Amino acid sequence: MFHFDRRLLQHFDWVMLLMVLLVGAMALINLYSSTHIPDRGASSIFYKQLLFFGTGLVIVLVVLTQEYQKIAKMGYVLYGIILVLLVYTLLFVNPIAGSQRWIDLGFFNLQPSEPTKLALILVLASCYANLDVPNGYRLRDLIKPGILILCPFVLIAKQPDLGTALICAIIFVSLTLYVRLRWSTLAILSTTALGCTFVGWKFLLKEYQRKRIETFLNPEADIMNHGYQIMQSKIAVGSGNIFGKGFLEGTQGHLQFLPERHTDFAFAVWAEEWGFAGSVFFLSCYFFMIVWGINVALSAKDKCGSILAFGCTMLIFWQAVINLCMIMGFLPVVGVPLPIFSYGGSSLLTNMAAIGLIMSVRMRSFPPSPASS
Amino acid sequence: MKNLRRLNRKKGEPLFNAERAKDTGVTRLPKRDESDLSGYRKKALYSFVVIIAFFAIIVARLWFLQVEQGEYYNQLADSNRVRSIDIAAPRGNIYDSKGREIVTNRPSFNVVWIRESNKINDEWLKRLTRLLKQDSATLLEKIRKMAGTPGHIPVRLAEDIDWETVARIENNRMYLPEIKIEVVPLRIYHYGNLASHLIGYMGEINKTELDKADKAIYRGGDLIGKMGLERLREEDLRGEKGSNNMEVNALGFEQQNLKDIEPKPGRDLYLTIDVDLQKIAEEEMAAKNWAGAVVAMEANTGRLLAVASAPQLHLDEFVGGISQKAWQAMLDNPLHPLINKVVQGQYPPGSTYKPVTAFAGLAEGVVTPDTPVFCPGSMRFGNRTYRCWKRGGHGTVTLKRALAESCDVYFYTVGLKLGVDRLARYARMFGLGERTGVEMEHEKSGIVPSSEWKKKRYNVKWHEGETLSIAIGQGYDLTTPLQVAQMTAVIANGGTLYKPAVVEKVIDADGGEVNVFQPEVISRIPGQGRNLKLVREGMVEAVNSRRGTGREAQIDEQHGIIVGGKTGTAQVVRLAQYMHLKEEDIPYEYRDHAWFTCFAPAANPEIVVTVLVEHGLHGGTASAPIAAKILNRYFEKKFAGQAEAKTTPASRPAGRVILHQEMIENTDPPPLDDPEEGGREMDATPQLNELPH
Repeated sequence: MFHFDRRLLQHFDWVMLLMVLLVGAMALINLYSSTHIPDRGASSIFYKQLLFFGTGLVIVLVVLTQEYQKIAKMGYVLYGIILVLLVYTLLFVNPIAGSQRWIDLGFFNLQPSEPTKLALILVLASCYANLDVPNGYRLRDLIKPGILILCPFVLIAKQPDLGTALICAIIFVSLTLYVRLRWSTLAILSTTALGCTFVGWKFLLKEYQRKRIETFLNPEADIMNHGYQIMQSKIAVGSGNIFGKGFLEGTQGHLQFLPERHTDFAFAVWAEEWGFAGSVFFLSCYFFMIVWGINVALSAKDKCGSILAFGCTMLIFWQAVINLCMIMGFLPVVGVPLPIFSYGGSSLLTNMAAIGLIMSVRMRSFPPSPASS
Repeated sequence: MKNLRRLNRKKGEPLFNAERAKDTGVTRLPKRDESDLSGYRKKALYSFVVIIAFFAIIVARLWFLQVEQGEYYNQLADSNRVRSIDIAAPRGNIYDSKGREIVTNRPSFNVVWIRESNKINDEWLKRLTRLLKQDSATLLEKIRKMAGTPGHIPVRLAEDIDWETVARIENNRMYLPEIKIEVVPLRIYHYGNLASHLIGYMGEINKTELDKADKAIYRGGDLIGKMGLERLREEDLRGEKGSNNMEVNALGFEQQNLKDIEPKPGRDLYLTIDVDLQKIAEEEMAAKNWAGAVVAMEANTGRLLAVASAPQLHLDEFVGGISQKAWQAMLDNPLHPLINKVVQGQYPPGSTYKPVTAFAGLAEGVVTPDTPVFCPGSMRFGNRTYRCWKRGGHGTVTLKRALAESCDVYFYTVGLKLGVDRLARYARMFGLGERTGVEMEHEKSGIVPSSEWKKKRYNVKWHEGETLSIAIGQGYDLTTPLQVAQMTAVIANGGTLYKPAVVEKVIDADGGEVNVFQPEVISRIPGQGRNLKLVREGMVEAVNSRRGTGREAQIDEQHGIIVGGKTGTAQVVRLAQYMHLKEEDIPYEYRDHAWFTCFAPAANPEIVVTVLVEHGLHGGTASAPIAAKILNRYFEKKFAGQAEAKTTPASRPAGRVILHQEMIENTDPPPLDDPEEGGREMDATPQLNELPH
């Protein structure tokens, strides 16, 4: 039966909750601005996201009530379901804008590649926590985690959704580096990775993906097509100046020069309207949230908790970094949302669940009370 | 409780949580966890460094974009959102001398594509082709033509669409996001094709014109004057474009209107042309489906009151670019509608040249008004016989009768006495052989032959026999109808050569006069008033005496307006096979051109009218009646105007009446068989066969 430890409440992670609420509030303010219809107020997108955010908070609560070790074990079930959904998407879903990402559930377009990230963290945490090898992992110890990452990676890359596939890969790499590796394993792996990158560029990337990367390297040469998004995003950010154009006053966003302004490029709208000052405030919240997440990973009482917290933090961190770099013209346009900030139900709920996991680890970091056992 | 306090402390220093757990020894964590957790701590610190590094880079980048380069991106954002689209300036109107509108503007509706996405979407293209009832190939061709131009310039897909189509497109607004209706002033011709050669037409600027034009003023797709005054007065008429500045979104939709710059309308042109006279000229020519030219000019100023080239150009065929088929049809038309015959048609002046010969003879003293010449019907010179148009001969003639009855032999005689070079010198005094400089395009200069000219042109010596042809306006002589009118004006006004003008004044959009016509004297013939008067008297005879060749030009008994004039026949070709045919059996293109040039009132000429009917056979019958109609209208209007101004009849210049009586007295009516000038006067000039016509 459900057993409630009073200390759970005492150790409730108010810091993370505060950060999430702050970021969430900014996200909603920004979403209102980027999607509102002049003279008519908020768009349906705004209310939808508000609903998602509420749902996200409920998910946080649900995750909190469960032992994260249990959740990690359940990860395999989630992982299995998601693999099925990913295969289903590839086989039966009609492509939207050239890729098969969404499953229409009627009330909600599920993007199974989003929860994949979380499922991956869960199964990897569970796997690494239970795999104990003295002096660090050998190459053969990585076969199982390798397979765990490869299945969803291939399926997602096939959609094609390079951004999400990339995030999955980075999370895998981060987690694997976080646990103990032998030096020899590390050397072999990094050599292989370099080789794969080369082969992938040469043979596996689709033409448009390669084009995106090439364009990124020289965006001004191709302004009307692939460079357009990066250019417009940079203009939006740059024209924000120090204090921004003000709420609802951004021209790049409202005049629709900015592509994907409520999803992947949401931060550009923020930067345009709130300027350098607002952006730095926003980034500080983010930074604090991530650093707090690392702190939680450190304070975890067991391996599983630490890996989980670290994985979830890295999930948020890498998505944020890739998204921000893309918006500011450091990276090519890959479809990676800014966690909690970008519009999108699948992404928001996934990230909220990740936050819930971090909070759960935090709350359970104290030693088990003698009374409970 | 103790536990709780300890845990509270832990919360404050979480980084040391793992170590603390180890130190206290209270933990029941398995041992392996402890060793790995300490390893995690190191990794976590590494990741901490990575996180800080990335955030530092991002903040630095933000600083660079928003603060360092903020101004630059501000400008980019502005140029993104602000678009300016040209507003065509209303072109200047064209009025006649009485202020009647000949050409003005009306709004026309064009369908334009704003190339914001720069992608042709099949869906709207299909919809548009259906709405416009055009095929997509036509639309695509228009898009292709604009391929090289800057993206924010709209592509014109259809021009001057009707109201119904405008409404249909507006109804489909939602489905045609980048399609707009553009309102552009378009020319409206209140008198149809009236004076079409003079006024010209407009068309879309072509690549060559665009390359030459000022890029600040013209853009692809602009309309520009292509011919006539529309082209020559382009600078006056075009005005200055305005611009519609607006904030647009990425799809090019106007979001907000910013400050517009109003276009500045073009200047209005007031012509010297009188629509009434112009209409008569063109209607008369059109009624008989004649090709030719009609010129009416003020004798004492050079103002052109009517300049008609028949047949008219169909201006509507030129709107929006003429089709190859229509163009070819015009080229193939035997009436040559494309040629402005007033200045581009060169014809031998025929007998209209005789007043010049007569004047030269008088001025040089080789004849006096009373010098008699016997005309037996032909003249022998060298080993050739040069015939008079009247086979039976005129008997003994003096200057006046020679002009009145167009006696060839008399002028052969005068011409021989003068020689070709002296004759040429006088011809030039009348403006012949020289472009008049009127504002019309591609004006021809005509030819006044001289021995020097022939040497230069053909490298052959002048034969004196050729002088005989020249003296009667045949041979190498070539003139344009405008030159003949100008020549007549010099005779009429007593020796002043005026430059013909078509523009009375240019008025600015705000009503200021930019330019007002001033008569422009090219040259004067000094001290020859008497001789010119003698020539005039001869021409008055030609119209008014019983055997005069231009009797059809008599007008207006009640006002007593006396007309002086001269008929002429220009031989097109002399072929023996047609010589004995009846005139109406001769193929059209071999029939002679018919001239008539005149002035009125005889005593104090105000107006000169010259009519040329191509292949019209006889000046007296084909051309003179048209001149008479124009004169009639001119004087009717004039007296109507005077009556309105409550002017008493006494104010009419008395001189006219006196001269009138004088004329009648001086008219000696010798009995003659054929009152009409014949068409065969150039029988005497066999060398004409080789001449250009």
